[in-house]
Amino acid sequence: MQKSEATHLDRKGTPAWGALTGRLLGLLLGVAPLLVFMAVFFFWPLWSVLWASFQDNYGTFSLGNYIQVFQEPYLSAFKNSIGLGLISALTSSIPGAILAYLIESRGSERLRRLVASVSSVLANTGGVPLAFMFIAAFGMEGSATMLLKNLGVNIYAGDFTLFSFTGIVFVYTYFQIPMMVIVFSPAVHGIRREWQEAARNLGASRLQFWSNVGIPLIFPSFIASFLLLFASAFSAFATARAMSSGTIALVPLMIGNLVDGNVFVDSFNLGKALAMGMVVVSALAMIPYLIIQRRAARWQA
Amino acid sequence: MNLKRIVAVAAASAVALGMTVAIATPSAAATNYCKVTNLKAAGGMDALVKAAKKEGQLNVITLPRDWANYGEAMDLFTKAFGIKINDDNPDGSSAYEIQTIQTAPAAKQPDVVDIGVAALNGVTGAGRPSLFANYKVATFNHIPTEWKDPAGAWYGDYQGIIALAYDSSVSPAPTKISDLTNPAYKGMIALGGDPSGAQQAFMSVFAAAIAKGGSATNIQPGIDFFKDLKKSGNFTSVVANGENYVSGAYKISLSWNFNGPGAIASAKAAGKTLKYVIPTDAVLAGTPYIQAINKKAPHCAAARLWEEFLYSENKGKLTSQLTKADLKLSGSKLFAKIMGGQNIFVLGGATPINKDAMIKAKKIVDGPAGLNIPKGAKIIQPNPDQQDAGKKLVVAQWPTL
Amino acid sequence: MRNLKLASLPMYLSLVVAAVYVLLPLLSAAEFSLRQPATHNYGLKHYIWFIELPDFAHYLILSLGLALGAAALVLVLLVPTAVWLNLGGHKLRGFIEFLTLLPLVIPVVALAIGAQTSLPEFAQTNEFVLSFIYAILALPYAYRTLDTGLKAVPLKTITEAARGLGAGWMRTILQVVTPVVRSTVLSALFMTLALSLGEFTLTSLLHWDTFTTWVTTMSQSNILGAIALSVFSLVAVFVLLMLIGLFVKPASNQVSMEEN
Repeated sequence: MQKSEATHLDRKGTPAWGALTGRLLGLLLGVAPLLVFMAVFFFWPLWSVLWASFQDNYGTFSLGNYIQVFQEPYLSAFKNSIGLGLISALTSSIPGAILAYLIESRGSERLRRLVASVSSVLANTGGVPLAFMFIAAFGMEGSATMLLKNLGVNIYAGDFTLFSFTGIVFVYTYFQIPMMVIVFSPAVHGIRREWQEAARNLGASRLQFWSNVGIPLIFPSFIASFLLLFASAFSAFATARAMSSGTIALVPLMIGNLVDGNVFVDSFNLGKALAMGMVVVSALAMIPYLIIQRRAARWQA
Repeated sequence: MNLKRIVAVAAASAVALGMTVAIATPSAAATNYCKVTNLKAAGGMDALVKAAKKEGQLNVITLPRDWANYGEAMDLFTKAFGIKINDDNPDGSSAYEIQTIQTAPAAKQPDVVDIGVAALNGVTGAGRPSLFANYKVATFNHIPTEWKDPAGAWYGDYQGIIALAYDSSVSPAPTKISDLTNPAYKGMIALGGDPSGAQQAFMSVFAAAIAKGGSATNIQPGIDFFKDLKKSGNFTSVVANGENYVSGAYKISLSWNFNGPGAIASAKAAGKTLKYVIPTDAVLAGTPYIQAINKKAPHCAAARLWEEFLYSENKGKLTSQLTKADLKLSGSKLFAKIMGGQNIFVLGGATPINKDAMIKAKKIVDGPAGLNIPKGAKIIQPNPDQQDAGKKLVVAQWPTL
Repeated sequence: MRNLKLASLPMYLSLVVAAVYVLLPLLSAAEFSLRQPATHNYGLKHYIWFIELPDFAHYLILSLGLALGAAALVLVLLVPTAVWLNLGGHKLRGFIEFLTLLPLVIPVVALAIGAQTSLPEFAQTNEFVLSFIYAILALPYAYRTLDTGLKAVPLKTITEAARGLGAGWMRTILQVVTPVVRSTVLSALFMTLALSLGEFTLTSLLHWDTFTTWVTTMSQSNILGAIALSVFSLVAVFVLLMLIGLFVKPASNQVSMEEN
């Protein structure tokens, strides 16, 4: 119904050549500045990293850095980092999506704005302050640890430690879930109540509405948000460093040691090669998203 | 009459010539401090202090205040000479220092650097452009030959010994590294960072190696030791820093002895009692850190004054002891009144590079109690090549500990 | 009435759980910052300490300025692009989305090293280059938020309706599009502000001093003071965002799932 309305107006409201110049103008005003901006402040630095990754310590061209990237311990580091990205995205996207849905659908405007503010702040916590907050709460002498001990539960009775892969996933939820809430809420916002009511009137149950209309609609946005969480956990650096003393092989930590360390100060460019490896992994991760997004584009009228 | 006239003209010419020379000389003698290679060429201490004061600022880089007593050194330098010190990224690494020299704009260039030997090896050697300006401090001859560049491009400044740091509540109190396997220490032991990236943590692993029968050429026992500690739960992967210590996340760690005084003071302010002791089963000395003046230094005179200050072996006044009268003294007299950098390092628990000469001349002050090396202990100091071999093993095995 | 309350029960429950989860670590850390070991009681000594530090106001204002600059950049660069894409530039959509996700893909450390070697001299000596860099870092989140929000609104329909009824482009954008996208844009700006105010790695690697790096330098020997500063940073940013939110009126005719 909407589509025919649009074409009707199109034919009536704007002549064909106007649409073309409009599109061109939109292209220039909208997209070009963004491209220039990214070219200077992102692609140019990225290019210098790429360039340097193909050089050895004396500045001559070499593939040596990339050969090293495919060996241990860097290979394990890539596996771990990818695993961390996926698990963190999984454990945070679902609670985040549920929370986003509940707040968007049932909350007042004021509540939604409060949640947006809080989530923005929390989504950007990390590094030493975040690690400290968790240690203060769940560490060996943390407040929550002590509280649970008084209630008879000793979380440290077994092998549990905050400074393990599991611990890092746990700490990451503190900024991943809020991030999910922020980037996914707008999608939920778009499920019109009228559609739910219309579906109900046509005899569909709640479950049928969601499985046939709701979820397919927000699925691309969910995947996009999931991807964002994956990339965020995959490349997170400061928090992982504050929590692991390097006993867990993660690529950002290794890059940090090579590029900003005190021990291996003669292999700067290996760190850059590792960084390019991360770029490749993330680029590959975006392919599933692009496929799903193209398929779902028909829903976006 | 003729003779008188000749004498008068000769005298007048001589005066004129003398005056011309006198006027011309000062501009010819204006020193370019960026090219000065020692105190004499600088025109003496008075001239150097004057020029440095005129520059008014000194750019240092990655110098934490409680590292080897740098806080006191910087405070004393600023109070005595009125030179403001700008410290770029105090917690930064040696790699950061080198990167900064190679890429930062002129105004952000550091005047002097304090880097680890690994960083030095990465930027010196055949085929690499020199980053540093040659300068030989007054006590240059006291620096051991193996820790200085013959032309004066770089020179060692201080070194440390790996010490055991523990909270006073820990019982029984550990005295050697082998004690750390005690089950009573479950979840208490931490390192100050990743041994693949932090020199202090890396040398801690070396110290463990010595304690468990390894040597400067065999770091494997150290890696195995930490592997066992991790398995038993004694070793926790939290980073050993002030905040984590105060929260009880760890109670025992290994670190440079010269970080002791600062750490103990910070801990006290936060309500905790921290103790430092040199382990009886391993006395591991690190290679000296290296001082150098940046070729692109924006404040050349101040940089050279700072180096003279750091290598001064004076026994003198500290920041809190300086009086107004002292500050009115001329450059060289004031310099002779203040505590020399080498002794400031000693007060911080570090071993100054000129130690042997200072002991001979009886110019050395007493270091803080409890951080002294046990008498008769064998000091092991892995050289850069041995460290490189050790690093390869650590980088390969640590991530899968 | 009753139906409403029941429907909201899961939301309130989950909010309570979320609040406990969020506040527990924060309050545990805050407890440390309120300790005064010398006198064995609690107090605001450490907060007073850093507020009284000579450069406190200078660095706070500097960081705020840089953050606002970044937010302005995001506003100017992303909003027109996102609106244009949702109005009909389908072909470039995938490409733009890919572009905006890229900054997320490189670890900040590597980007910093790249920036050190690539940015020209004048860029590295002007502090406001940080606003540009923060904007780049915020790009993925801001764009994702904007795009998702705009997709959910029948943008094409209402703009064409407005145009069909005779409104010019300016009027359409100002009076039709803006109110509808207001809260989405606000979300995106919040993210940018919070990110800029908390950014540390790039700032310190590029030799600049903002509030976050100054905090680290000042608290070198003062452990409890350092904790107080990080708690303050978190709370202060939150208060700031709330204040900004107060200035933007909630849209009254939002197409949403709100109960009537």
